[in-house]
Amino acid sequence: MSNFKKTYFSLIFFTIFMFSFSYMLVPLYDIFCEITGLNGKTNQTKVIAVNENPVERFVTVKFTSTVANSAPFTFEPIDREMIVQVGKINNTFYTLTNNTKTIKHATASPSVVPHEDAEYFKKIECFCFSQQQINGLETKELPLQFIIDNELPNDTRTLILSYTMFNTTDQLGSN
Amino acid sequence: MSTNIDKLHDDHHHTPSGIMRWITTTNHKDIGSMYLWFSLIMFFVGGLMALVIRAELFQPGLQLVVPGFFNQMTTMHALVMIFGAVMPAFVGLANWQLPIMIGAPDMALPRLNNWSFWILPFAFTMMLSTLFFGSGGPAAGWTLYPPLSLQGGDSFPFTILSIHMLGLSSILGAINVIATILNMRAPGMTLMKMPIFVWTWLITAFLLIASMPVLAGAVTMLLTDKFFGTMFFTASGGGDPAMFQHIFWFFGHPEVYILILPAFGIVSTIIPAFSRKRLFGYDSMVYATASIALLSFIVWAHHMFTVGMPLAGEIFFMFTTMLIAIPTGVKVFNWVATMWKGSMTFETPMLFALAFIVLFTIGGFSGLMLAMVPADFQYHDTYFVVAHFHYVLVPGAVFAIMAAVYYWLPKWTGKMYNEGLGKLHFWLTTIFVNLTFFPMHFVGLAGMPRRIPDYAVQFADFNAIASVGAFGFGLSQLLFVYILFNTLKKDVTAEDKVWEGAEGLEWTLPSPPPYHSFEEAPKVD
Repeated sequence: MSNFKKTYFSLIFFTIFMFSFSYMLVPLYDIFCEITGLNGKTNQTKVIAVNENPVERFVTVKFTSTVANSAPFTFEPIDREMIVQVGKINNTFYTLTNNTKTIKHATASPSVVPHEDAEYFKKIECFCFSQQQINGLETKELPLQFIIDNELPNDTRTLILSYTMFNTTDQLGSN
Repeated sequence: MSTNIDKLHDDHHHTPSGIMRWITTTNHKDIGSMYLWFSLIMFFVGGLMALVIRAELFQPGLQLVVPGFFNQMTTMHALVMIFGAVMPAFVGLANWQLPIMIGAPDMALPRLNNWSFWILPFAFTMMLSTLFFGSGGPAAGWTLYPPLSLQGGDSFPFTILSIHMLGLSSILGAINVIATILNMRAPGMTLMKMPIFVWTWLITAFLLIASMPVLAGAVTMLLTDKFFGTMFFTASGGGDPAMFQHIFWFFGHPEVYILILPAFGIVSTIIPAFSRKRLFGYDSMVYATASIALLSFIVWAHHMFTVGMPLAGEIFFMFTTMLIAIPTGVKVFNWVATMWKGSMTFETPMLFALAFIVLFTIGGFSGLMLAMVPADFQYHDTYFVVAHFHYVLVPGAVFAIMAAVYYWLPKWTGKMYNEGLGKLHFWLTTIFVNLTFFPMHFVGLAGMPRRIPDYAVQFADFNAIASVGAFGFGLSQLLFVYILFNTLKKDVTAEDKVWEGAEGLEWTLPSPPPYHSFEEAPKVD
């Protein structure tokens, strides 16, 4: 009987392990994407120490915006396109308008195309780092400060930064 | 081999009579039969849903059902066929066959066995009851991709909970299979002397234990995302909807092989029996099955080439996917080599097994086409995909199950089915299955998307043909039911060794076998 029990308990253990493994997959995928820069994930954290080191190279950065699930927002980049010098800090902003009369909360989620260049797009200041609170019918300017890393591969001439704005009012409860 | 089991001994067991016999039974044959009957019923339930789909698609435009209900039908058809028809059928075959193939008296964990069966009817009652809800059943596809699946109505938590129960049932079944095979083989039966069906089921059981908990985890995350404020797949909270696809297909691809590996085992059993030769390349069959199982864990993202993966990822998954063609090819060539210069006869099980080889190979080739990233960008989510996975699941898994039923039915019941009707059933099934699914390749390549209730008029002719085929296929299965009942009505006349070329311990038992198969372990040399 001990053989049975050994098989039985090791299989039960394996089942429980695989269930936990499915949860482990969530951070594992994230770590994998962060290390490799795959999935278009830009650095979600602020770049604190920035060394400006401009070089004689210019790339086009395009800005796009989407409002998720028909949320009652108007969300637009102020510049649709910028020609920026590599290694130099740039500033721009997006505008967010609350089309309702009540206070709303919003969060933006960034993505960079081409995905493999996401890691060279470094954000110093970004509204995507925090929750935005916006009063009814208010229009807010959301600043963005970024730098394109000198290591950007030579064949890249255009980068597209896109933001999706989510309405998170319900997720935060009634505050 | 000692085979003199006293038939009188059969009456010594004490079981309650009537319905309680079936509710309380811990006998592998009873439970195997219940699994098989359950699977047959679910095959017809899922089949009816498929016919709703095909009736609506008979011509362009919306005629019979509203799109929302159509989506519920595509979702439920898949869930019912995968978890209700094919998987329980294989577990039923395992229950019947494993003990009598390895010389054991019963399964290792008989009470667990009873429980893992009886979870199923409850799970499916719950899942199917959602169709009668005001907001209808699940309609986001069986893959349950968020955010769409999270926007479903009241059916959502019921679907998730029934998937949990189905997963639990499969995991318990798999634990039982492994415990039986590893601990209860007859003396002298080493692993490499096991019948190939036993081998394929052992590997399948490991796949089940490794992948079903991941599905359970994925759907639990969906559940907590919807009701408990977690943000696993919600982009606004830092989650990622594409993450679900990764986790789901980490389960999903091994699941595909769970649905086909036991079928490989069945075909590898039947082809040698009717070719009157030993299986060609037994060892390579075992290794091929094991390598398919291992590869299944590193190919998942080929289901999601269009999700926006980087080139390196696409290439990795493309090549690993194509790698699977090698062990699968080994199997197909081994089957052909088994038949080479054999004294072949073509009884119904053999016909189904032969059709399996031909038609499954067609499905395998369309799978290779889908594995190519640049081509997949066009094929993704079209009817070409529908044609592909129906070719590997219907003339693949389902034909193998039918072959197995015809092959072992005389052993289980002691009664011979009507060979003429069996052949008629085979030919009707094979003709209609091709009529149904072959035109789907063409409409898919021409760009018809899957999971839509209406389509552009240029697809009309092929869709009409497919619908005629589907109704023909469905009606042909009524003949199968008739053959089953017709057989059960007969007197016990089948010999112990029903098929001349059949090999294995099960044929040393009387037909039908006694309630407790091998009370004294047979010796295998």
